[in-house]
Amino acid sequence: MIRAIALASICAVAPMGAAAHQLTVFAATDCEMVTVEAKFSNGNPVMLADVRVLDGNNTLLMTLPINEDGTVAIPLDSVDHSGGLVIEVDTGSHDNYWIVTPDDIARSCQS
Amino acid sequence: MKRHFITASLASIIAATPALAHYGMIIPNDPMISQEDGRSVALTMSFSHPFEMDGMMLDTPVAFSVTHEGTTTDLLGDLESATVMDDQGYTLDYPLDRPGTYIFAMEPQPYWEPAEDAFIIHYTKTYVTAYGDDEGWDTELGLKTEIVPLSKPFGLWEHNVFQGIVKMDGEAVPYAEVEVEFFNDGVGATVPDELMITQTVKADANGVFTYAPPSDGWWGFAALNTADYTLVEETSGEEKAVELGAVIWVHFEEWTGQ
Repeated sequence: MIRAIALASICAVAPMGAAAHQLTVFAATDCEMVTVEAKFSNGNPVMLADVRVLDGNNTLLMTLPINEDGTVAIPLDSVDHSGGLVIEVDTGSHDNYWIVTPDDIARSCQS
Repeated sequence: MKRHFITASLASIIAATPALAHYGMIIPNDPMISQEDGRSVALTMSFSHPFEMDGMMLDTPVAFSVTHEGTTTDLLGDLESATVMDDQGYTLDYPLDRPGTYIFAMEPQPYWEPAEDAFIIHYTKTYVTAYGDDEGWDTELGLKTEIVPLSKPFGLWEHNVFQGIVKMDGEAVPYAEVEVEFFNDGVGATVPDELMITQTVKADANGVFTYAPPSDGWWGFAALNTADYTLVEETSGEEKAVELGAVIWVHFEEWTGQ
C-alpha cells in the first residue's frame, strides 16, 4: 500500500512527454548506484541522449549525458532520493521515463 | 417402441455430455506489466475446462519454469497450492527484476482420462512482457511440443489474428489440429451449440495455424498430437496412448476505438 501511494504520488508529477513508446527506459538500483538503461524498440541502445534526474517533487536534480552503450550510472548518495526518483531520457525526438520508487530503493538495500 | 425409447435415451445421454476440452492453464494477472503495475506478476495455474469454468485436479507439476533473456529458471519449488475453479491448482507471485519477455512454462504430470482411454500431458506456456520491452516475444523454449508464436502473444487487439507454428521435438507438425477455447472467467459467454465451446483449426503444411477471436479476453490454443510412446495405466496394467498438448494462452485486448 505504501509503495502504491508513493508510486501514485510520483506518477502524478511524471513528465507528460513520456507518451512516446519507441524508447524503453529502465533503471535498477543496488542500494549504491542507480543504473539507467535506454534502448529503442529494435533493441539498439540509445547512444546520444540527455538523462535528467528529478526528485519525487519533480525538481530537476541533475542532467547527465548517456553513455554510448545506452547506460548511465548515478550514485544514490549524490541525489536526494527520499521521495524516489524520476529518470527521464530524452534523445530530442524520443523520450521516456522510469520511476525509481522509495520502495525500490528500500528493497535493494535489504537484499 | 422399446427399442426406440432406449435409442432416444442413449442419444439424450450422449447429447447431454459435452465433449469438454481439457486445458493446462497459466494465467497472469496482466500479460503486459508496466512500471505503474508494480514489480511482479501474479500467476494462476490450473487444469480445467476453461469455457465451462470447470476445474480438474492439477497435481504438482513435473516442471515449472520461467525463461527470460535466454536463461531458464526452475520455479517448481516456489509454487503455492491454491484452489482454482473449485479444484487443486497453484499460484505464484514472481518478481520482474528487468524489462523483457518472461515465458512461464509448465509440464504437468500425466493425467489419466478414462473417457478417452489415454493419458493427457499438456505442455503449457504464457508470455508476459515487462516494462514496455517486448524483446523475446518469439522465443522457442524447446519443449517436447509447443506452439511457437508468429504473432506477438500479447498486445493483440480483439479480432486480430493469432498465428503460431505447431512443433513436436523441434519440428513443425503439418496439418496439426489446434483446439481453441475462451477462458470464460466472469464473462458468462454462452454458445448456441456445444460444438462452439471448443473451436478447431488445422495448421497448414508448415505447421502454421491462424485464428481470430471474436472478443477480447484470454484464449487458449492447444495443438494435440499422440505421443510416440505409451504409459502404463495402473488399474488395468495396460499400456495406454498419451495425448501431448502444446498449449499457449494469449490475451486479446478490447478495441478502444469507436
